[in-house]
Order: sequence, then C-alpha cells, then structure tokens
Amino acid sequence: MPKHYRPPGKKKEGNAAKYITRTKAIHYLQINLSTFRRLCILKGVFPREPKKKVEGNHKTYYHMKDIMFLAHDPLLEKFRDIRAYDRKVKKAIAKKNKDLATRLLTRKPSYTLDRLIRERYPQFIDALRDLDDCLTMVHLFASLPAVESERVQVKRIHNCRRLSHEWQAYISQTHRLRKTFISVKGIYYQAEVEGQKITWLTPHALQQVLTDDVDFNVMLTFLEFYETLLAFVNFKLYHSRNVKYPPILDPRLEALAADLYALSRYVAASSRSAQLKPNDISSGPEQAEVKEASTADESDLRLAQLQHQLPANEPGALMNLVEDASSENEDDEETRECKSLFKNLKIFLSREVPREALLFIIPAFGGTVSWDGDGAPFREADESITHQIVDRPTQGHIFLSREYVQPQWVFDCVNARIILPTNSYMVGRVPPPHLSPFVDNEAEGYVPEYAETIKRLQAAAKKQLLPMPGMDNRDLDDAQNLLVEGIIDRTEANEAAEKKRKMAIREKQYHDELKLELQGITYSATLSNKDVQSSVEDKVVDASFPDPEQIVEDTRNMSQVVMSRKKRKLYEAMRIGDGRKKAQINLYKQRKKKADQASK
Amino acid sequence: MSKLSLSFLERDGNGSGRVEALRTQALSLSLSLCGLINIRRTAQNMKVLIPKKSVSIDPAKKKKSKSPSRAKTSVKGKSRRRVEPIATANEGPNEHEKIEQESSEDEMNHEDLVEDNETHQSIEGNESSEDEDFTRTEEIKDSNEGHLLGDDDEAGEAPPTVEDSDSSEDEVPSRNTVGDVPLKWYEDEEHIGYDITGKKIKKQARKDKLESFLAGADDAKNWRKVYDEYNDEEVELTKQETKLIRRMLKGRTPHAEVDPYAPYVDWFVWDDKKHPLSNAPEPKRRFIPSKWESKKVVEYVRAIRKGLIKFDKPKEEPPFYLLWGDDSSSTDKSGHGLSYIPAPKPKLAGHEESYNPSIEYIPTQEEINSYQLMYEEDRPKFIPRRFESLRTVPAYDNALKESFDRCLDLYLCPRTRKKRINIDPESLKPKLPSRKDLRPYPMTCYLEYGGHSGAVMSISIDVSGQWIASGSMDATIRIWEVETGRCRKVWEVDEAVQHVAWNPLPELPILAACVGQDVLLLNTGLGNDEEQQKIKELLHVETAAVPDESGSTSIVSWLQHDKHEGIRLKHHKTVSSVEWHRKGDYFTTIVPGGDTRAILLHQLSKKLTHNPFKKLHGLPVSAVFHPSRSMFFVATKKTVRVYDLLKLSLIKKLETGLREVSSIAIHPAGDNLIVGSKEGKLCWFDMDLSSKPYRILKSHPKDITNVAFHRSYPLFASSSEDGTAYVFHGMVYSDLNQNPLIVPLEILRGHSSTNGRGVMDCKFHPRQPWLFTAGADSVIKLFCH
Repeated sequence: MPKHYRPPGKKKEGNAAKYITRTKAIHYLQINLSTFRRLCILKGVFPREPKKKVEGNHKTYYHMKDIMFLAHDPLLEKFRDIRAYDRKVKKAIAKKNKDLATRLLTRKPSYTLDRLIRERYPQFIDALRDLDDCLTMVHLFASLPAVESERVQVKRIHNCRRLSHEWQAYISQTHRLRKTFISVKGIYYQAEVEGQKITWLTPHALQQVLTDDVDFNVMLTFLEFYETLLAFVNFKLYHSRNVKYPPILDPRLEALAADLYALSRYVAASSRSAQLKPNDISSGPEQAEVKEASTADESDLRLAQLQHQLPANEPGALMNLVEDASSENEDDEETRECKSLFKNLKIFLSREVPREALLFIIPAFGGTVSWDGDGAPFREADESITHQIVDRPTQGHIFLSREYVQPQWVFDCVNARIILPTNSYMVGRVPPPHLSPFVDNEAEGYVPEYAETIKRLQAAAKKQLLPMPGMDNRDLDDAQNLLVEGIIDRTEANEAAEKKRKMAIREKQYHDELKLELQGITYSATLSNKDVQSSVEDKVVDASFPDPEQIVEDTRNMSQVVMSRKKRKLYEAMRIGDGRKKAQINLYKQRKKKADQASK
Repeated sequence: MSKLSLSFLERDGNGSGRVEALRTQALSLSLSLCGLINIRRTAQNMKVLIPKKSVSIDPAKKKKSKSPSRAKTSVKGKSRRRVEPIATANEGPNEHEKIEQESSEDEMNHEDLVEDNETHQSIEGNESSEDEDFTRTEEIKDSNEGHLLGDDDEAGEAPPTVEDSDSSEDEVPSRNTVGDVPLKWYEDEEHIGYDITGKKIKKQARKDKLESFLAGADDAKNWRKVYDEYNDEEVELTKQETKLIRRMLKGRTPHAEVDPYAPYVDWFVWDDKKHPLSNAPEPKRRFIPSKWESKKVVEYVRAIRKGLIKFDKPKEEPPFYLLWGDDSSSTDKSGHGLSYIPAPKPKLAGHEESYNPSIEYIPTQEEINSYQLMYEEDRPKFIPRRFESLRTVPAYDNALKESFDRCLDLYLCPRTRKKRINIDPESLKPKLPSRKDLRPYPMTCYLEYGGHSGAVMSISIDVSGQWIASGSMDATIRIWEVETGRCRKVWEVDEAVQHVAWNPLPELPILAACVGQDVLLLNTGLGNDEEQQKIKELLHVETAAVPDESGSTSIVSWLQHDKHEGIRLKHHKTVSSVEWHRKGDYFTTIVPGGDTRAILLHQLSKKLTHNPFKKLHGLPVSAVFHPSRSMFFVATKKTVRVYDLLKLSLIKKLETGLREVSSIAIHPAGDNLIVGSKEGKLCWFDMDLSSKPYRILKSHPKDITNVAFHRSYPLFASSSEDGTAYVFHGMVYSDLNQNPLIVPLEILRGHSSTNGRGVMDCKFHPRQPWLFTAGADSVIKLFCH
C-alpha cells in the first residue's frame, strides 16, 4: 500500500486537511475569482506556505481556517446579493422595463467596511502600524486623473484628496512630521504617531503617467478599504484633538464655492483641510481663486474654526483648553524640537515651487509660510520675510532683508534638525547632494561627504546651545566659528576637516610602521595603506610571520574547520553578503575619487 | 382609437369618459401624426365618426357600448358637470379641476405648435375659444332646460353631415400610393412613390432656402402653406381648415356645428315588446362604498402606523464614528485563531533614490551599458539619476506600476515568518579554548632537510627520534640526523620510492621501503655491533630457499638484495605502502591493484608471507595495526574495516561517508582514529561511540595526503596537496562520558607547490611536539614549537 493512501472512510489529516488550493477554495465558497479576490483583499486574507505542498508546488495555498473565516463573513452574502441585484437591473433594462429598473436603482444593496476594520485592527495602534501602504495609495490616487474607462471616478479622487489633506492637516498641526526626502519617485514623509513610525510617499505634483499593465479593479478594491481605514483613523485622531470630524466647511466659503463656477467640489475638499490649518489656508492651488475668502475673511474663518473646534457646552471648551495645556507637556522632546525648528522664520514661496509639499512641511516645523497668489496670509513685499524659496535659474528683484534659497534647503534643514547655512542653496547654484534620512550611514559603512558636513554642523549647533568649557576640540571649534561668524566658507571648512583627517591617518600609519620595524619586519608596500591590517596586527602574538594577512585568513579558516556544515554555509553566505557590501562601498569610493580628480 | 376610447368609457363608469376619450384622441392624433395635413384628414374623419358613435345604435356595437340607460346617465352626468362651476355643486370638484388642468396643459402644447406659425393668431384663437366655451355651457344649460326633446339646430345639422361623408379616405385620394412606409426609403430615389396608375412620381426640384424664404416673406398667406412630405407638394390650408385645426387643438369637435352632447334619442321602439332588454335593477353595490377598498385602506393605515411604510427617506447615519473608542474590549488579536503575519514594509529609499544624489551614486555610462550584459534578474531595477534642480524632476513613470505591484504582493504572496539572522558572523564560530593554553605544538619551521632532487614521497622517524628516513621520486632513500639536518646515508634504488617505514623496535633499526614492485628491507647500519650482528642475521635470506618458495606460493618472493645489504620482497604489482606491527616482526604491504592479493602480511623472522584477506570490498588504500591489541584496520575507498587478527574475523565496519579515503591514522590509545580523504575532509571516529564519524572537519581545499597522530602529545596533523599542513589539538579523555576535544591549532605553510602537488607526507616526532613534513618541492621541513 502506498504511504499516502487514505482509506475511504478516513478523514484527511495534516497538511492535506489544513491547506486548500485557491481553485478549491473558490469552489468551496461558490463564488467567482474576482469576488474571491475582493473578499481576500478586504478581509486581509493572504496565502500561506504549507510545510508540505500536497497538491503541487506551483499552486497557491490558503489555510482552511482562513477560508472558513471568509465563508462566515456577512460580506460574502452581501456580494451575492449585489450580484443578483445587478442581474435584475440588467434584465429589467434589457426587457425595457424602465420603471422596474428605476425602482431597483433606488434600492441598491450597499455594505460598509467598518466592521472589517475593527476586526483587522482591534486596536488603534494596529491600524497605525499598517498605515504606510494606505497613505501611499491614497496619496497616489489623490494625484491621479479620473479614468472613466477604468472606473476611476472623480468622486473617489476627490475623496482621496480630502482624506490626504485631512491627514496632512493633523500631522502638520501636531508637529508629528519627522523626516522628509525628495526622491525621483516622489516625496517621502515620515511621521511618528503614538510611537509608530509611518512612512508614505506622495508623487510629484505633476500629471501622472498612466500605464496599461495595471489592473485597476485590484487597486480600486484596495483603495476602497484604505479610504475607509484612513477616514476612521482621521476620525480618531481628530477626536483626540477635540475637533469634529468630517470638518464642516465655513458656510460663506461654501456659498462662494457655489457661486463661482470655477470652484468645483475639488476645491471644497481642499478648503476643508485648509480650515484646520490656520497658518496655511489651503493646499490646493485653486484655493487662490477664492478671492474674497482670503485675506479679508481670514479672521472670520478662524472664528468659525474655533467654533468648530470647541464643543458647544462650556465644560467641553474647558476640557479643550486643559487638553491643549496637557498636550503641551506631553509632547516628547522630539516634538518640541520639531515644533521650534522654523519658529522664528517667515517663509515665502515663489510661484514655481511645489507648494503643497512645503505648505505641509513648514508649518509642521513651526514656520510661518505664505505664497505667491491670492489668499496668501502675507505678500511678497512683506519686510519681515526671512526666507524666500525660489526654484528658478535667476532671481530678478531681490529683497536684501531676506535670503533666497532653493526648496531643497527646507528638506535638508528638516532632516538635519538645524537651520543650515544657505549659501550653497542659493539661486542658480546646483545644491549640495540631497541625502536620504532613512539610511544609517554608519551601519552602511559609507558616509557621503555631505553627511559628514551636516554632522559637524549639528554638533556645532548643539555646542552652541550648551557651551562646554572643558572641551578643547579644534575640529568642533572650527565648525562653531564657521557657524557663528559665517566667514569661513563651508567648503573651506570641509577641506580643513579633510586635511585633518588625512593627517591623522598618516600619523597612524607612521606609528604602525614604526611598530613593525621594532618587531623586525621590513617595510612592505602592501602594509602601508590598509587599515585592516594595522588593527589585526595587535592580535598577532608572534610578529615573526611574514604575512599577517595570511594569519588573519588562517585564523578564520581554522575556526571554520570546526564549524558544523550548516553553520559554515551560513557563515560563508554572510561573508559573501559582506563582500558585496564592501564591493559596493569600494565602487562608491572609486567613483568619488574619479569625480574629485576630474573636478581638480 | 375607438377601442381605446371605449375602454376609457368602461373604466370611468361615468359619462365624462367619452369626452375625455375624445380629448385624448385629439391630443394623441395631434401629437402622433407628423404633418398638419394629416390632422386635416383625420379631422374630417372625426367629423364623420363622432356623431356616428354617439348617436347611432349599431346592434353590433351595443355590447361594447353602454346600455342606453347608462348612456343616458352619462350624458346627464356630463351635462351636470359642465354646469357645476356655475352652479357650485359640492360633488366632484376635484375631478373637474383635474380635467381643467389637463385641458389647459393641452392648450399649452398646442400653443407651442401654433407659435411656430404665428403667435398673435393663437392668442386670438384662445380668446375666441373662451368665448365659445362660455357659449357652449350656456347652450348646454339651454339643452338641459330644454330637456331631452331639444332638437337643436346643431343636432338637426348633424345628420346631414353624416350622410355627406361616408368615407373620408375616398374623398381626398392621395397622390402617392406607397402607403404607410418610412419616407426614408425614398430619400435617395428620384421619385417619391407611385401614383394610382403605377407611374413614378418625380420629386420636385428642391427650392433654395433663401428663395423659399423670400417667397414666403412676400406672401401674406405663407403661414397657411404646409409642405406635405408624403405627396411632395405644398398645400395651402383654407380658412375653414385652419379653423378646423384650431378647434381640434382646443380639443373640441372639429366642426362647430356638431354637438357632442346631443340629447339621447331613443330610437328603439319600446312599445309592444314583451321582454325588456335588461330589466335588472341597479345593484346595491353601486351605491355603497366598496368593502375591499376600505379593507385596503385599513391595511395601509396600519402599515403606516407600524412604520412599515415610511414617507421620509431613511435617516443617514454618520459614515464615520469613533471606531476605537475603548481598546480594552479587544484583547484577542486574531479573530479566527490563526496568527496574523503583518506584511513586510516596503524598503525605505536610500541615498541613490534621491533626486540629487551624491556624485558617487550615479553610475557611469559604461556601467549602465554593462548592465545590459547582466542577467535580467541581476540587473539593477533602479538607475540613479541626478537633476540639477527640483523643477526639472519629471513625474515618475512607474509610480502606478509599483503601487500595483505592492498590491499584488499584499494579497497574492504567501506570507511566512522567516527568522532573519541578524548576528555578527563571528558569533557563529564555536567557542574554542585559547591556543595559548594548548601549547606546545609545532608552529614555526625550524629546519629544512635539503638534498633530494625529486618530490619527497614519504618520511619516517625512528623510535629514538634521532633519525629520519625519506624516500623520494628521484629514486633515493636518505637518512638524516634530525637535530643537525645532516644526511647520513643515501641509497640509490632503481625506481621512485613510494613509502618508507622504520621498524618500531629500537634495537632493530631496519628500514622498509616500497620501490616500485619491491619492498626493500634495509639495514641502516645504526646501533652497536651486537645489534648489527642480529640485524644482519635477520636480513639474510637463503638463496636456495627462495626459488622454491617463489615457485610454490608466487605471492611474494623473498630475495637477498644485491646492491645494498638487505632483503627484497618482490610483489607482482606496484606496492603503495608498508606498515610495521608494533612488535617489529610483522609488517603489511598494500598492493592497490592486487585484487585478491592486495593486502599481504609478512613475517620478517620466518620470511613468510600470508594473504588473509582474499576477499576485499573495494580498493584498499591503507592498512594499519592497532597500537596495542591484535587488531588490523583496512581502509578501502569508502569504508574502514576492523579485523581481529587472531580470529581473522571482521569486528567493525566504519562508514566514512567520504568520496575517497586517502589515509588513516590511529590514536595511540587505540579507540579513536582519523581518516583523511581526497576531498580535503578529515573524519574523526570514536569507535566506542558509533560507526559514523564523530566529527568531520573540512580543512583543506585539496586532497589530504596523510594524517598522523602524535604518540604522546594530544596532537594530530594532516597534510595536503595544497601545500599546507594543519595541526590540531585532539584530546581524548579517559572519561567515557566526555567527547574528544578537537581544536585546530595551526596552519603550517612553507612548502611550495610543484606540479600541482604540495605536502606529500607528515609525521610527528615520537617524543617532541615536532612535525616533519615532506614536500613535493624535494624539501623536508621540521616544524617546532
């Protein structure tokens, strides 16, 4: 009898009973593939990898419990209802039974996803943990054009826009933003909400490229879930700030929006989010079209906001005050640091600057911001503006009282958490390299030059705040001088630092050589330029060996000899990985060297 | 049309039905028939038909129409209703209003139509119609007053019209005879159809628009002109006709003289008829309210009270609420008992993804070109680019695609928890005792014995540790003094020396060497005279006995060596190695190609040869004696077999698991042995433990040529073709519970590789922790601690 033979009366056991292939699952649930897919996406059910694939290696397996979980969901029944309903409508239309069709159309079965969200994320923190994809998707769709052929409706895009603005308003107002990064793919943001790091990507504010090889059905199903999730998360966050959630529009503004043909619902959505941001009235460029609602109405608007924020009864209002006060104390150090980064700065955005991103970032770090166009809080001619952000080859008219910088300056300042010197970000210059804040340079093994510069500036800034008398580090002093006096050019400082480092290296080399000579070994060229060896040198007890590198390898080989095969393989794999990393770093170094040579 | 009107009548149950039917008829006619001319035609028909229906008693139609009495009542009702607004009767005001509304609506519609022609005309018409309306009601009043007898002028006039026009269709025969077909069919033709004789009717020449307009502008009667598409001709309506049309639009009878409400004339002669047509009295149900209806009403009222029927739309609940109000209630993570595996987060962007990365992150053009040569999987997915300023950054092409891929990953990828080892690779290394504590062991090259001109194949140290013998490919056997490196003696033989071995007895300094097919037993000339004497006796073979023996056994022939004093054992094939028994009397030789005579045991004192292992499994590689007991180890390519020499039986079979065994050595205590293989692996067997290796050490990248144990120190070594020799610490504890401790100590280098061969042999000094290695570079090295 073969081993796998199962007598007819006996039940399946083990993996065969526990796991089910997708096709079988679909048959079991009596639905079609697309419904199954929708159900899986909404319920968060994913395939699992059984230890033994009973039905074959190239199949997708679901856990039987997952499938039962789907089978007992009311949503399944709802989908069946919808399917039946769709058929009824289709039939009525086909039979030209118009009144039946219209009557049916008023009774379309609908479903809500709140139960699913609660089920998938029993606690709020779970939802926050899983918010990355949600935010990225919603932000992506917020910037997409409506594709009617793919059933991407204008309504949903507006909804995405509104949700994303609500989220940004919360983050900006509570100063939760931590890191930003302009990449080729878009702008990355990282915020910290309730101790969870949430990273999302927003595409550049341009016409997005639509590709054919995308199944919008899948994406829209995901979006459906994400929209609901984000709305509930927003509700919770707004609730925690005592703000009524779907933010109610100022009636005057709404009336205006109705009057002006140009203001579609699209603007209404963005103005909603704007309402929560006292400092930056709006994120949408169309907002500028609201002429009356801008400067003159701002105070009214604020009043309206206040009314919205404070609950009607007095104790509630008191509570709000209390909470505000307590939140002030509860803010962790990082939040306080973020809040005060741009505190004394008044920043003006030029016309060509990506406004949406900067209107989000600058208030998040405590800055005041205005832009070119109607509805701006203050005009370009305002004397108190400290920085103007410009992204053009040359600046025509220049106010001497302010500094003209490129947008990258804001992002770099945010990542470094200090106000960087502006001379390298001036108009017309190629700004210094923009570095990712998500990379741990030390762990990676390669520190770009500009990262070092920033580090030095940070150290200097810290020292400036807390002067330490005992320290007598020349390097720090230098950088501090640079910051305080602003005389020494940054590059010069860089060079000085570089020189110092080289000197140190040389010194160390010299010492090493001396040591070697004492040990009775002639100077060899291979020894001269490798740091690794010198560190290894100490380990070697008897220095009478001609080739210390050999010794290192020998010791490694020898320990490898005693390892079990499994461990040895793992060790080798790790070494290969390390080797790759090192090769990459070497490549970077080589390129850097070449570039330096070329520039000289 | 008539059917429709009848059904209306029946449903209504009132006299008003007829009027309404007429109204609807006119309306539908005016709407459905496209040309005014058609209206004209039908109006004529109407003129004829209406009186017929209302007046004549057609027995065939009697069934369909109401009974005479009913008709009478209907007329009565109608007339009553017409009067109502004036008489302000209290019954049925609603219905009346409704009708009024309808009629006004109809007027609106018709006005629209008329407006196209001329507005002021229609206004006039309206006014006139009102007048007429008024007069009509008066007339009816009159007729009411005048009772049924009223033979009005109109009524009197009506019958003649009936007689005039029997069939309206005959009167105005249309020119075209194509019938009721879509005129579209003749659009592209030259003719519009056929006349009654079957001839084609040609289309008239199309008039220019401007021309027709001008012509129209001049003509005052233009508004009366109507183009008949069907007959392709222009028709001018007469004044009478327009009047007719106007009346119809008002919803009245086309001819003013027709009285639709003419008093009923009962033409039937009731006298002398015995049986009535229907003498049934009016049923009671006609006079009391319907029970069924009241039931229905009650039903509805109840439903409304219960809230089953709602008139206002359901209240919309706020779509969003505080979902996570209390986190305390939800403690269980997964609803269905399966562990939830969160999706891995997407990788965060590195420096190279920046819009303006450092210069070192941007590959050169050559590097980008070289990516094309790579496999598609290896090719980098993302090529960093550098933009001078933020405004030059374009939209990212793959934004949607990447998002979609992420979606696919989220719902299609099987998720498993993988333990990711995030440790320092150094921590994988086993904790070994410090090498310093395991001293002494050979570390550095102390002496070199040079003199051979070919690769040294084998070395052997005598028991006292004073002398070392070596056999080389240059066909010499040398004896060196260990401490000075002086070459004491050289034998030149005919062929390359494969193996040399000292006799383990200190008083018998005899050297055995494998030279080609021979094994030589040589007198080294060491020791005092007494010993020399003994050796010479031992190494003497009676020449006479030799041929007999060789003739009889033919395994091995013991011969006296001619050139050097000693014995020569002639084998039938090449001998690879020779090993002495610890007592120095027996020794064994291996002939790898010898089939049944591969392993031979020789007794020196009796000059005898045995062949106990007639049947061997696999090619023999090496054979050794147990250091203390009468056991014999035979290593074949895959296995090691342990035999009892006294019983001549197999004790144990050790599975090495190696591909090809090259050498074997036994721990001096006798319970452990090491086996070297040609794949560079070293197996340590603990024979008490198992027949499988206790530990496999992968030390050398190339073949292991020899392995050796030290006789007193816990050391063992392996030499390999890669030019290195490993020294290990191999401690065997007397406590059986404790496993042997193996620590690699040193890698000894120094031999250069020649012809791809490195160290050929290694041997420990019997008393000191020194290691001798013989290299293919014709040098013997001594490594000291």
